[in-house]
Amino acid sequence: MKPGKIILASIVFAGQSSLATAEDIEFWYGNTGTIEAAIQTACEAFNESQSEHSVTCVGQGGYEPAMQKAIAAYRSQQHPVMIQLFDAGTLDLMLSDAVVPVQDIMPDVDWNDYLGGARSYYETSTGAMFSQPYNGSTLIFYANMDALGEVGVTEIPDTYEGVVEVARQLKENGHSCPVLQRVHPWFSLEQFSARHGEPIATNGNGYSGLDAEYVFNEGLVAEHLTNIAAWREEGLFRLPVDTEGEKNAFNTGECAMLETSTGAYGGTYAALGDSVGVGLAPVYEGYERHNTLIGGASIWVMKGHGDAEYSAASAFLEFVRQDAQQIEFTRTTGNLPVTKSALETLRGSDEAGAIEFATAELGVTSLSQPGDDNSRGIRLGFYVQFRDIFVEEVTKAMNEEQSVQEALDAAAGRGNELLRRFEQTYAGVALP
Amino acid sequence: MQALLYPKTYSFRRRPENILAACLLPRRESVVAQNFYKGRWSYTAFVAPILLLIGMFFYIPVFLSFFWSFFLERPFGGGSEFVGFQNYARILGDPEFWSAMRRTLLFMVIAPGLAIGVSLVLALAVNRGLRGSHAARNIIIWPKAVAGASIGVVFVFIFDPFLGVFQSINAIFPGLWNPRVDGTDAFITIVIAQIWNGIPFNFIILLSGLQTIPDTLTKAAAMDGAGPWRRIVDIELPLLTPQLFLTFVLEFVGTIVEAFGLIDTMTQGGPGGATNLLIYKIYSDGFKAYDLSGAATQTAILTIFVTVMVLLQFRLEKHVKYER
Repeated sequence: MKPGKIILASIVFAGQSSLATAEDIEFWYGNTGTIEAAIQTACEAFNESQSEHSVTCVGQGGYEPAMQKAIAAYRSQQHPVMIQLFDAGTLDLMLSDAVVPVQDIMPDVDWNDYLGGARSYYETSTGAMFSQPYNGSTLIFYANMDALGEVGVTEIPDTYEGVVEVARQLKENGHSCPVLQRVHPWFSLEQFSARHGEPIATNGNGYSGLDAEYVFNEGLVAEHLTNIAAWREEGLFRLPVDTEGEKNAFNTGECAMLETSTGAYGGTYAALGDSVGVGLAPVYEGYERHNTLIGGASIWVMKGHGDAEYSAASAFLEFVRQDAQQIEFTRTTGNLPVTKSALETLRGSDEAGAIEFATAELGVTSLSQPGDDNSRGIRLGFYVQFRDIFVEEVTKAMNEEQSVQEALDAAAGRGNELLRRFEQTYAGVALP
Repeated sequence: MQALLYPKTYSFRRRPENILAACLLPRRESVVAQNFYKGRWSYTAFVAPILLLIGMFFYIPVFLSFFWSFFLERPFGGGSEFVGFQNYARILGDPEFWSAMRRTLLFMVIAPGLAIGVSLVLALAVNRGLRGSHAARNIIIWPKAVAGASIGVVFVFIFDPFLGVFQSINAIFPGLWNPRVDGTDAFITIVIAQIWNGIPFNFIILLSGLQTIPDTLTKAAAMDGAGPWRRIVDIELPLLTPQLFLTFVLEFVGTIVEAFGLIDTMTQGGPGGATNLLIYKIYSDGFKAYDLSGAATQTAILTIFVTVMVLLQFRLEKHVKYER
């Protein structure tokens, strides 16, 4: 065979791609570990429950890789019917023109059954759901009750003043890490601002227009991060980088208190057993407690597929929305039920008091606190990149290369440049 | 076909792979007998696969990045607006770009300098036949088989402030060494990993260069009373310039792009952006931040920068003596 023919043959061969049948659709997700196992279980259960449709669930190794691959796949028209994407990418997807709002393909679903905190994050300005909340979590407070017991504390503090008081007692008792604190904006900015009713950006964190501007650098967030830096200096707070166990330093018993996701409960309980106590994340005295934000991810339906694929997608979304499926998902992952009916079913069941559901009630309580314009969610463009900028600048402050105020001003300034570029990128596109 | 690929003899000689060949092979054999293959199809068949790959994964993307750098591109496509030089103005006016560039330049000078310096010392020692040099010659080459990403994973552990080699220093001066939060410490760990990564190849090249220096020269110098140092400075180093030049060219350009695997596994550009070299910034801007236009623009700038660096280096080649 002539070389030219070999090359031609290999190109033709490489061009062959598998053509999916109409009812066999793909669902891409980002999670790994226990949540991935739960997603795969749900997929198998769906495929076994009926014979009309079949869903292939494909893990992409993380939320960010899933988003990257979704972009690449969409640009080359190889994208799946459904994709699970994370909270921070919400606005990027809403304006992408690559997704169909779930409410459009499933108008008959009672979307008001979704918990307020989950709805507000993923709905349009007119109240239509853009994506279906799936694995939901929120921020709560964890304490090692054995460590607190050593200084005579039996109640988990629910204010920062209280946390600092307990931390001082622990430190005086020789404890090297009373509080483990993450500086990632999900913990120190988003959830913090929401539950204090403080704005991250104008326009209700971007909900009423793309011309929003970051304002978190003035006010309580700045005060809070300055406090964290001072408490770290005093030896009351530790960042993961200061500890041997890093992000796991609470689970290893090195640290006594921590703000983190409800989804972390499973791992924490496995490590520390009954000495784990949980409560609402602390607020500063004198501030009314608002709702925390829903974290995790939701399922989006992508454009460019036929009716048969969308009916398969609807069937799958219906399936994972069922109370029993949500409760099973909560049991294995520590995520929250996301509809009122699932929550009611769980409350009415014999298992409500089981250890696997220990954070469900608390998480939902946290999500259901009174809300305002600043606690609906985050609707800011290129927000994933902003999170990296925030971490970068605050890390420099924690390493004493600049003051906390300088760090926040720099982060807000760089963030505003992102927002302006986002506005220009989507010039002429209305916020849904 | 030959004339097409290699229009002039000197340009044939200047290609890095030919410099490599010139270093490793006796002079005459490096200019391969050019009528070795009969018929023009043989050339095409041998060259086509690699040209196809380079075209698909290098020339086309580079061309596209220049093209995209003039547009404001939406991540999911659909609306891309021609903006002229606006992306360039934005990037060149961005202090983050310049600090990434500064870090890249610093890295480009320190890491290759030390990687070649250390390799040279090792090669000179082995060439002198010091005790253990036979074993060293083998052992020093082994790390070449380790991928950059794996090196990163191992070095993160080695330099861990609580578990690694500096644990004892931290026990005496708490917090002195912590690459997780201290940018300078993190930069040092990346530099060390890069040097470690570069030593095997540089060592092989420099040692092979040293071994082709005729014995008679060093013996004659020794008889005239030149000590080891004098012989290194006056005989071995000047005769080693082709190999030094080769390692210099490859290391210099290589560090700009090869550091990616190390940064991605060790620091992800942090802490506080201290190890965010341009090559990693392009990746995170494009793929993590969906700024395709900005990433394309920076790729275009990086391509121009690398081209200029290589051209400058080849001006330097005029001082390299290939004849012996």
